[in-house]
Amino acid sequence: MTIDAVYLLQLTLNGIALGLLYALIAVGLSLIFGVMEIINFAHGELLMLGAFAMCFALPVMGLLYWPAMAVAILATMLVGFVVYELLLARLKPDEFERSILITLGLSIIIIHVMQYIFTATPRMVDSQYGFDGVEIGSIRITWTRVIGAGSALVAFGGLYLMLRYTQFGRAMRAIAQNRDAALMVGIRPRIVARNAVILAAGLCGLAGAAISPIQLVTPYMGQFMIFKAFALVIIGGLGNIPGAVAAAIGLGLIESWIGGFFEIAWQEAAVFVIMIAVLFLRPDGLFKRGGMRVG
Amino acid sequence: MKLAVALPLALVAALAFGALPLLTDSNYLVGVALSALIFTVAAAALNLVYGFTGLLSFAQLGFWGIGGYATALTVMTFGGNFWMGVVYAGLINAAVALVIGFPILRTNRHAFVIATLTFALLVALIARDWVSLTRGPLGIPNLPAPQAFGIVFDTTAKFYWIAWAFSLVMLGFLHALCSSRIGRTMVAIKQNEPLVRAQGISPMPYKLASFAISAAITGMAGGVFTFNLRVIDPLFLDFYYMQTFLIIVIIGGAGSFWGVVVAGIALSALPEVLRFSADFRMIIYGVILVVAMFIMPTGVAGWLHERQIARMRQALQ
Repeated sequence: MTIDAVYLLQLTLNGIALGLLYALIAVGLSLIFGVMEIINFAHGELLMLGAFAMCFALPVMGLLYWPAMAVAILATMLVGFVVYELLLARLKPDEFERSILITLGLSIIIIHVMQYIFTATPRMVDSQYGFDGVEIGSIRITWTRVIGAGSALVAFGGLYLMLRYTQFGRAMRAIAQNRDAALMVGIRPRIVARNAVILAAGLCGLAGAAISPIQLVTPYMGQFMIFKAFALVIIGGLGNIPGAVAAAIGLGLIESWIGGFFEIAWQEAAVFVIMIAVLFLRPDGLFKRGGMRVG
Repeated sequence: MKLAVALPLALVAALAFGALPLLTDSNYLVGVALSALIFTVAAAALNLVYGFTGLLSFAQLGFWGIGGYATALTVMTFGGNFWMGVVYAGLINAAVALVIGFPILRTNRHAFVIATLTFALLVALIARDWVSLTRGPLGIPNLPAPQAFGIVFDTTAKFYWIAWAFSLVMLGFLHALCSSRIGRTMVAIKQNEPLVRAQGISPMPYKLASFAISAAITGMAGGVFTFNLRVIDPLFLDFYYMQTFLIIVIIGGAGSFWGVVVAGIALSALPEVLRFSADFRMIIYGVILVVAMFIMPTGVAGWLHERQIARMRQALQ
């Protein structure tokens, strides 16, 4: 049964690549929740904007992958900044339901404005790598997937170092662990929250840019992803970044395996079924929340 | 509002709505009023969980869909009639709400919101993918008109009576519930759960009851609406419906029974007034939602209430 082993390995690698992209989104959600105790419903729309930015930047850049990705990340960070200053900065810490409704409204606006301008027609994104792939033995993975997974790994490494060793990251962890104490030592929650939102938006932009050559780009693409990411942050434990990463990679693997061996219908439903099962067994998520420790 | 004012007003409004098909021949107008009544019932049910008990539940959309499918399938697959279908829709939803409500309500309020959202999405996926039961994206067309006592409710004007009677019964029940001791306990849970516990009241049965009752009512409303549309497909679980219910509750004022009822009637006409294009309408919905959350987070009813309190304060000084 050598073919089966190769097939399984192929599915596993694809699953890890997919899981890393999920993790980028889920980590952003967790980061914002940790610092502000709110859920950003419009997070998926940041991903969609990143994908659209990539889609328009690539032809301008002569199909060069990396500069276009940088444009996408910068664009979403800018959107994150504007969203924070306009809307999120006005929220008080304990206004969870209000935050959901406001960002839900924002998400409706962004989706339909994009659909109004660019129509709902799915777009294919072509990059310099096209559909070329790397072959290891009889396993073949497209370059765009490899690069997507690689840049996600680099982003996690960067995030870890930033949260651990920079003043900027330490302030975020401090707010997440104990808001009052952080205020007392002179950390300004507004600035930290703004940085967290911009950082999360940038991660989302990276995910959007990495996904756009793999999937079709439509105004609704963010919604599918974000609902999964919500379930992931619950499974991993709200505000728990390593938990979210672990849950995301696990989900990528499970989805990929299910897609390979069972009916496709189960693939989409898996995350929701898993989440309900996890809530039955461990209401606080698989990994208990312990501030915002990374690693 | 004082009961002496509210009750006659409500009766007059109910009769005026009941007389609508006699006053106009326009199927269009009756159709708009029909959706307004059903949406108001669904929004009032959301108000019970969110406005009174303080649980922001996105599962309403799932219950709405389960109710629609349960009613349609009772008639088309299991050989029952419309009335049985609506009753089954209520019972099935109540049972589902109890089963999923228990684990979800044990979590904190953050996880509750997301878990209910996930449930709604799961229902939408099942409606699309369980083709042998729901017939998938093709949906179930040509639902027959309901019959009772030899009358076939086959026109919009005739079906309107069903929706009218249904909404009166449901709104009456919800009003009785909300103004009872149970309703007050629910408000207390929303305002200060530790205090409620300290009074020796366990919040769980109340939360579970409000979740299940609102699920049953939303499901029955979905069932009635399905037979108004005469077809059900996975689009019945479009997020658009959830947004409509939410906007009605928020503009009306979460936690205010009459505020939500009035907003339900007024705002259901809004999509008809805003007949530009679907996208543009949704953009306006989004803007309304964001702006309302900033300038009057407690809705029109809350805003009026605050003004009243301010006036009383001034009078005291």
